[in-house]
Amino acid sequence: MPSTKFAGTLTARERTLRALRGEAVDRPPVTNPTNVATVELMDLVEAPFPDANRDPEMNARLAATGYTQLGFDAIAPYFSIIQESSALGCEMQWEGKDNWPTVRMSYPIWKTVDDIKMPSDFLEHPDNRTIIESIRLLKQEFGDEVAIVGKTMGPWTLAYHVFGVEPFLLATVDDPPMVMDMLHRLKQFTIEFGLAQIEAGADVLTLPDHATGDLVSGEYYRRFLMDLHHEFVEDLPVPIMLHICGSTTDRMPYIATTGMAAFHFDSKNDPQEAMDAVDGGINLVGNLNNPVTLYSKGPEEVRAEVFKCLDAGVQLIAPECAIPLKTKLENLLEIPRAVEDWAAEHWDYSEN
Amino acid sequence: MPIVNEGLEREFEWVTRPGEQKHISEALDLADEMMQEIAYQLIIGKNLEVDRLTKECLDKGYTANHILDNGLLNGMAIVGVKFRDNVIFVPEVLVAARAMKAGMAHLEPILSASGIEPIGTVIMGTVKGDLHDIGKNLCIMMLRGAGWVVHDLGVDTAPEEFADAVMEFEAQVVGMSALLTTTMPNMGRTISYFEDIGLRDEVRIMVGGAPVTREFADEMGADGYGENAVDCVETAVSLLALQKELA
Repeated sequence: MPSTKFAGTLTARERTLRALRGEAVDRPPVTNPTNVATVELMDLVEAPFPDANRDPEMNARLAATGYTQLGFDAIAPYFSIIQESSALGCEMQWEGKDNWPTVRMSYPIWKTVDDIKMPSDFLEHPDNRTIIESIRLLKQEFGDEVAIVGKTMGPWTLAYHVFGVEPFLLATVDDPPMVMDMLHRLKQFTIEFGLAQIEAGADVLTLPDHATGDLVSGEYYRRFLMDLHHEFVEDLPVPIMLHICGSTTDRMPYIATTGMAAFHFDSKNDPQEAMDAVDGGINLVGNLNNPVTLYSKGPEEVRAEVFKCLDAGVQLIAPECAIPLKTKLENLLEIPRAVEDWAAEHWDYSEN
Repeated sequence: MPIVNEGLEREFEWVTRPGEQKHISEALDLADEMMQEIAYQLIIGKNLEVDRLTKECLDKGYTANHILDNGLLNGMAIVGVKFRDNVIFVPEVLVAARAMKAGMAHLEPILSASGIEPIGTVIMGTVKGDLHDIGKNLCIMMLRGAGWVVHDLGVDTAPEEFADAVMEFEAQVVGMSALLTTTMPNMGRTISYFEDIGLRDEVRIMVGGAPVTREFADEMGADGYGENAVDCVETAVSLLALQKELA
């Protein structure tokens, strides 16, 4: 069901946190569980890739533009999914200004469950340190004005990185108990990095864990991840937004039972069908299409998609995943504008 | 002969489209009990069984071609249908592919020595800046299973590498994959490079990958688009026919 109305005016942070708690808001928040950095924004604040991924001050400067330039209700100081894996020893391809850094998954670092060990300098590794310090800087600068969103990768995605996608997926068939053991052991990295970000000032955590319908079944999610994800709710004491790309409607009923605050879903899932699938069990965040709508179309199409999500009752509006780095700013600026217009038209504040 | 293998009979029930039912059923008519068992063991991903059965069949005098066509490829046809229809997902396809590989390890040397002409030659690669390869690898597996010679350029493939491979291997088809929205435009850049060096008319180009759409493929000037690995094979076949028509 749609978010309920709050009569006064909320700060961006309050709006985000209240929506994640299922409380009344003055309008649905616009958030960014995955990053909204673009090449234009990098130029604007002189914080280009790849350096902005590795330098806390540049990282914070670029991340802040999500709030200061785009008017989103949250700041997410991470632009890739590589930090923890880099700290664990995976090979990186840093790329240039127009592409995200990536883990070289063709060169897995571990083979067996016994290889999974916490490095003594895990949180001190420069790539993890960058995010933690960036959160600290952003908290100092913005205080309680805007929600600071951290990100800690889930064990399924970490398994792709450290074991390689194919070896890991083959193991799920060959030896499911061993895979469960792997996932339980990988969980320590998710928790350790998440807690460090909370301590630094993160109000919310995104937890990407790519058990996507493009790779595995909904039944796989239930069997391997549902309980683990439930455990994260107790381990990480801030609202968690689970992110899984691709088709996920088949696993949304399971995701809805985890107790997480929200599920960030992809445009491959129809907003109304997604709302029906979670049946009020979890808030939804999403699901503006990246490659077609935000990247290739114009503000009018963006607005139509925002309205479609809001009409369906999606509680927090966001691009479906990390936006293409050459997305036009006018399309991103249209998102909060469209949300405000929709709320003004559909929410009768005099009722409060 | 009719399907006598109970496991295979159950698997065949997943084939529901009339055209496919007819096609696979006709192919299975040529499969005796041994071939049906190979097909079934491949579908359920038992690589050691496929390895053992393939050796046994060769010892009994079955030809490599017969085992490939009536055992392994019948199994892969059903795997492809189940994958496309979301009955199975990537892990199950990977174990079937591993079983196929186990059988092919015995057949490939014999088939190569016999000089049988492949259906066609395709160059496959993930575009520049993109390190994701599982979708591409599934396509390669399906293409090889369908009788294509595939040259895999791996990930992070520059336009020049695609072009060099087309010339070196005289390929008729190129397949490009991308998972990232930042690297999708490199498909268009590769197509432009083919135009710049006068190679565009020599080859048909197909694209795919999670964020890639038919609309995007058309805008970039690709000749074909595949939504999944099964589509990829069908697209390659139709592009090969088109290329022959234009030649």
